[in-house]
Amino acid sequence: MTKAHEVSSGQVEWLRREVAIWQAEGLVDEAGAASILGRYTASRRTTVVRLISVLGAAFVGVGLISLVASNIDELSPTVRFIGIVVVWLGAVIAAEALRRRLPDHDAEGPDANDPDANDPDADRSIAVGSARIIAVAAYGATIFQAAQSLQVPAYNSGLLGCWAAGALAYAYASRGIGPLLVGIATLVGWFTWALGERSGDDGDFVVGLMVGAVVATAVGAAHERGALRTFAAPWSLAGALLALIALFGAALPDVGRDGLDLPAVGIAGLVFAVLAAGAAAARADAQGRREIAAVVGMLGAGLLLAAWAPVDTTDELSGDELMHALVGTAVYLATAIWFAVVGAVRDRPQLTNLATAAVVLFVTVQSFGVFAPLLSGAALFLFLGVILIAVGAVADRGRRRIIEEVAE
Amino acid sequence: MKSPSRTTALVAAVVVQASLLVVAVAPRLSARVRGDTYLVRVEPLDPIDPFRGAYVTLRYTEFQPESFIEGLDGDVFVPLVRDGDLWRSGGLRDERPSEGPYVKCRYDGVLRCGIESLFLPQDKAKALERDLLDGGVARIKVDSRGNAIVLDVTAS
Repeated sequence: MTKAHEVSSGQVEWLRREVAIWQAEGLVDEAGAASILGRYTASRRTTVVRLISVLGAAFVGVGLISLVASNIDELSPTVRFIGIVVVWLGAVIAAEALRRRLPDHDAEGPDANDPDANDPDADRSIAVGSARIIAVAAYGATIFQAAQSLQVPAYNSGLLGCWAAGALAYAYASRGIGPLLVGIATLVGWFTWALGERSGDDGDFVVGLMVGAVVATAVGAAHERGALRTFAAPWSLAGALLALIALFGAALPDVGRDGLDLPAVGIAGLVFAVLAAGAAAARADAQGRREIAAVVGMLGAGLLLAAWAPVDTTDELSGDELMHALVGTAVYLATAIWFAVVGAVRDRPQLTNLATAAVVLFVTVQSFGVFAPLLSGAALFLFLGVILIAVGAVADRGRRRIIEEVAE
Repeated sequence: MKSPSRTTALVAAVVVQASLLVVAVAPRLSARVRGDTYLVRVEPLDPIDPFRGAYVTLRYTEFQPESFIEGLDGDVFVPLVRDGDLWRSGGLRDERPSEGPYVKCRYDGVLRCGIESLFLPQDKAKALERDLLDGGVARIKVDSRGNAIVLDVTAS
């Protein structure tokens, strides 16, 4: 008798639903369905072990960077640099050696996170993933050690950019999802930071973020087909995050007050984003093309909101400013709902949760803006507390309804 | 055979990462390896960088222009002029000097020459800040393209 594979309870639940559909369609009989379901058993062990291992690797990574930051002067800068390089390259080699011991190590795709692996393979696969996370964090620590030894000026965004580019190069070469997540997180951090440094005003910043959102969404959609399908979700999530931040800013009353005067690099960014969207649309599936079209539409809305300078007649809110705020709010809410739907269609709960959290945060900030001048002290917090509880309940109910309707 | 191509890709990625590492620190590395040494006056401040720890922010008192310079923005050059044992600024230029030592900087109302941070263990950063209350002297290295690196700082 074949030993049952341990998989997550969510995967077992999904399989039960699918097998029920297959039975209803006459694809499998009752005995066949029982046999298929008997091959899998729900276990939290793999999930928990994976979580603990990833957390452990992340702690080691943070520890390595903290070690660099502690500037241990008992060791010379050269010795510290060589030490961290040895850790970085050692982790790269260890991850590769562990991967080669996997039975299907030549398989295409991100093998370090294959949830279908049986016990020993899963454990080794987790070890590969952990080694890769340590490798990519140690690479960042290597950059910071070199920069510290050579007295590169503090708060230099270029260092984070180099870490992001190196992490992404390693992610695509190793096909590891852990390095990809680190690469995307550092890339989004660097992009936002560098944009903040170079933006002439808040309108430039909004448009720059939207350009990033279009490019990230395009890369995600392009990944939906091909060997690296699991790379699609993190890029898509990064695109949604950037779009939500950008349109959050665009909906604020003061943004766009001075109109929009994009520098040459901003126009080049817009052209690049449109070209990237076009190239990705040619490769993407139908849903991917819809997602690209939607985010290009959001870019257009962001441009209009940033360029729309409301007439400021007095200290009070003018009609034009009120219209700007209302349109900005409508665009933001439509954007959040769109991403919630995409999360449900693509079966990406993290995207739906991000959209839900974005709505709650938006309502919180806007409520403070509207009610703070009218109420004060305890009354303001009591009133907003009630508003937030209601919004949280409605948003969660909306999220569930979207998931249910898409599932049907 | 897919394994060799995966290994080749990994080696290529590590080479790219190593190249990015050099790019990240290139101006400071060039000054360290190929530069000549100069002594200039400085004053300290004392903050912390989350990735690289404690450092002392150095203000090069004799480099800074006395008032805002209208129309100057982007890359500027500070010629170094000998003044006894030390070197001081010969004034900001918006064109690269044809000869003599000079430091390449950026100006956007504030002058930044890439030598404003001196990373030290936290206790030494605090001690240096105290020692430099009356100012100090920085030993810097500058290469032929104006890239500079600060080597150390002593109280004057």
